[in-house]
Amino acid sequence: MSITLDQVTKRYQLLPVVNDVSLEIGEGEFLVLLGPSGSGKSTLLRAIAGLVEIDHGRVSLHGRDVTGVSARDRGVGFVFQHYALFRHMSVADNVEFALRVRRMKRADRLARRQELLKLVALEGMDERLPAQLSGGQQQRVAVARALAHRPEVLLLDEPFGALDAKIREELRRTIRRIQRELGITTILVTHDQDEAFAMADRIGVMHQGRLLEVGAPDDLYASPRTRFVATFLGAANLLLGYRRGSRVDFERPGAEAVTPREIVAVIRPEEIELTIGAPPAGLTPVGEGIVQELQFAGATERLRVRMATEGPVSATPDREGADPGGWLLDASRSYPDQRANPLAVGQKVTVSARRIHSLPTPITSFTVIAREQAAADALRDTPLLATLATRMQTRITTRTTRTASAPPGMPVLAVGPGAAATALWNLAHGASQVLVLPPGTGLPSRIVVLPGAEAGVGSLGVAASLLRHIPAESVLLAIHEASTPERERASRLRLLLDARSRALTEHGLDLRTELRFGDADAELERELSVHPDSMLVIGLDALEAAEAARVKSLLEGPKQRPVLIVRAAGPG
Amino acid sequence: MAGGRIAAPSPLPGFGLTFGFTTFFLSAVILLPLAAMVIRALGIPPGELLAMLLDERAVASYRLSFGAAALAACINAVFGFIVAWSLVRYDFPGRRLLDTMIDLPFALPTAVSGIALATVFAPTGWLGTKLAAAGVQVAYTWLGVVVALVLIGLPFVVRSVQPALIEVRKDLEDAAESLGAGGFHVFRRIILPTVLPALATGFTLAFARGIGEYGSVVFISGNLPLKTEITPLLIVIKLEQYDYAGAAALGFFMLVMSFVMLLAINLVQQWGQRRLGFGVSR
Repeated sequence: MSITLDQVTKRYQLLPVVNDVSLEIGEGEFLVLLGPSGSGKSTLLRAIAGLVEIDHGRVSLHGRDVTGVSARDRGVGFVFQHYALFRHMSVADNVEFALRVRRMKRADRLARRQELLKLVALEGMDERLPAQLSGGQQQRVAVARALAHRPEVLLLDEPFGALDAKIREELRRTIRRIQRELGITTILVTHDQDEAFAMADRIGVMHQGRLLEVGAPDDLYASPRTRFVATFLGAANLLLGYRRGSRVDFERPGAEAVTPREIVAVIRPEEIELTIGAPPAGLTPVGEGIVQELQFAGATERLRVRMATEGPVSATPDREGADPGGWLLDASRSYPDQRANPLAVGQKVTVSARRIHSLPTPITSFTVIAREQAAADALRDTPLLATLATRMQTRITTRTTRTASAPPGMPVLAVGPGAAATALWNLAHGASQVLVLPPGTGLPSRIVVLPGAEAGVGSLGVAASLLRHIPAESVLLAIHEASTPERERASRLRLLLDARSRALTEHGLDLRTELRFGDADAELERELSVHPDSMLVIGLDALEAAEAARVKSLLEGPKQRPVLIVRAAGPG
Repeated sequence: MAGGRIAAPSPLPGFGLTFGFTTFFLSAVILLPLAAMVIRALGIPPGELLAMLLDERAVASYRLSFGAAALAACINAVFGFIVAWSLVRYDFPGRRLLDTMIDLPFALPTAVSGIALATVFAPTGWLGTKLAAAGVQVAYTWLGVVVALVLIGLPFVVRSVQPALIEVRKDLEDAAESLGAGGFHVFRRIILPTVLPALATGFTLAFARGIGEYGSVVFISGNLPLKTEITPLLIVIKLEQYDYAGAAALGFFMLVMSFVMLLAINLVQQWGQRRLGFGVSR
């Protein structure tokens, strides 16, 4: 591996801006770190270069651990957004800077400089001052300068940010060509998804300090694992769908014997088919709507369709909040389609989908359950829940009446007397997880995951989902009896490490892991008392009396904290 | 205007009026008094003028004025740079207060600074007694003149260097570091060259101000002829003795020197701007 990051964490004033990032980048690979501003991508890049000291974790370049090594000794090439050229030096002196520092002979320096300027197509510009060059030329000089000392890794921090579109395009090609010619491992940071698609072998999407997903551009686009990646990489419609047997549809659950499992479906605008009348065979019907907006954009046409209020439910609540008349669905059509089947604003259309991707997220929506509306509203406005719903772009519904089964989304309850019984009832009647909150709780600074033996996978998935949206530290904790024999201890540790690596590969979540031996409840209490604003994610293997007592002590005890209970096997 | 435009067209009318006023104002306030002095000085027969300028007491005063001003400007260049550096690069409690205090020598009547310095550095003052014990006397020696000029000149250096240091982005240092340069190398090859034109401007301003400084110096220098007498003081003494010709001659000499200084400042600034590419059209 050319670059290996292991649990890299950087905090500013206790807040993690880069949170437990682990990543391996192969020899000669071109990786693009993509994310909105403030997602920690630049900080991560600087950490790799040694320009930022990290608080936790390790950075290795070509198998050499460089965590404690200063930037000057790491020997990487770094290109800055604003070029950072030395303005008092000529192009020649800028390019030769790293060579002079290394006391290279004059003749060798000259030869290397000529070679580099040829590479970036700036031959003959040697004696110019940076101020006499255009922005694009200055950035070419910066690239040549960064490559002078033959670094094994090239890092580019938004290198095209300050350039206009045409020059940007040209420089993109130049950099990709140079990268291929030299076969140099490269990381480029950008917030521009077109740039990421155009250049990357693999894209890593960052959000709130976490590396959410890493993959080939087409894989990430076709099958994102998270809502954020689904909506950040290209346009996407997120709908609440229902898994009935083996198929997914958008019919709202009515009085059915088995509550269908709720999923979040991603439909790209170009996968939407708009027809007049009956839906075409072979496509999944979505619903009906009225064309609200038509935008001609040359090769494609962009449309917005207002969906009928009794039709499918948008998984993003803000889409409809502003508009009481139904939410808007984005669609696009190619020019030939548009010519063959012209549509007009106000026309009634049938919407169907060519391809549906369902997100593997365990949290689709929240349903607050309380006896009275006032209590439900109070719980709904609890900062932790409200923030989660906003960041996950999930809807919250409330339910005050008793029903025959658990709601399709995740049930949310208030802590206190009776909470344990209601939680266990919901888990026994179709819910895979239950969130129990003290009303008014804010965001936790730490999330403790206590997986059960079998419920491990589920609880890790939910924890991963939570941690993508809360910038908290997380620890995977396993507590075993103090009497566990030495032999067993090793196998327990192996199980825990397996769980951790599964969390990493399946959910892109890197957790710190701790194995303790002692009384389960006492150890947990100790862990939670050290960090008072912790949240607990607990996996339950079964719903027997022992578990019930444990849940009761956690939910109805004197100390109140948010607890998320995950059941071993999902229903169905 | 007939012939051709002198100024670029401006949305505001009244170029004639404003230009006329500018000419009149500059003439009345600057040109006329200076011209009177120059005429007066040039009215002296050349031989006599030369004798006055090369008088032993006058030459001694030049040596002190220019020597002390140069030394003070050098000291300010070093320490003013350090002060500006800490103000720009570090955040500490009271930074704004310190930033404001830098300007005090600008605002304070120079006589007040002079008396304050004399009180502190006099052989009976609280710094003076300690220095006297160490065998160093500051007040009433050329050292006192230097101390006063350091105080007066400091803000010029700090205020010139500060904006230039802000211009040196952290990126530049990061870039140099990632290319393998160590801390001292970064300072010498990157930071200093970038700030140098501004530092030179600050140095020249402090030097020019030091040559002309009067108020703060006379209280601490002791004013001993041939030893601690500065040129501006000598001019005042000549005036008090009704030696108007002598005063005008020295004044003329100071005028020429000041003009040379200011010209140097402008050239330094132009050089710096060209080098760093400010104001160069792309």
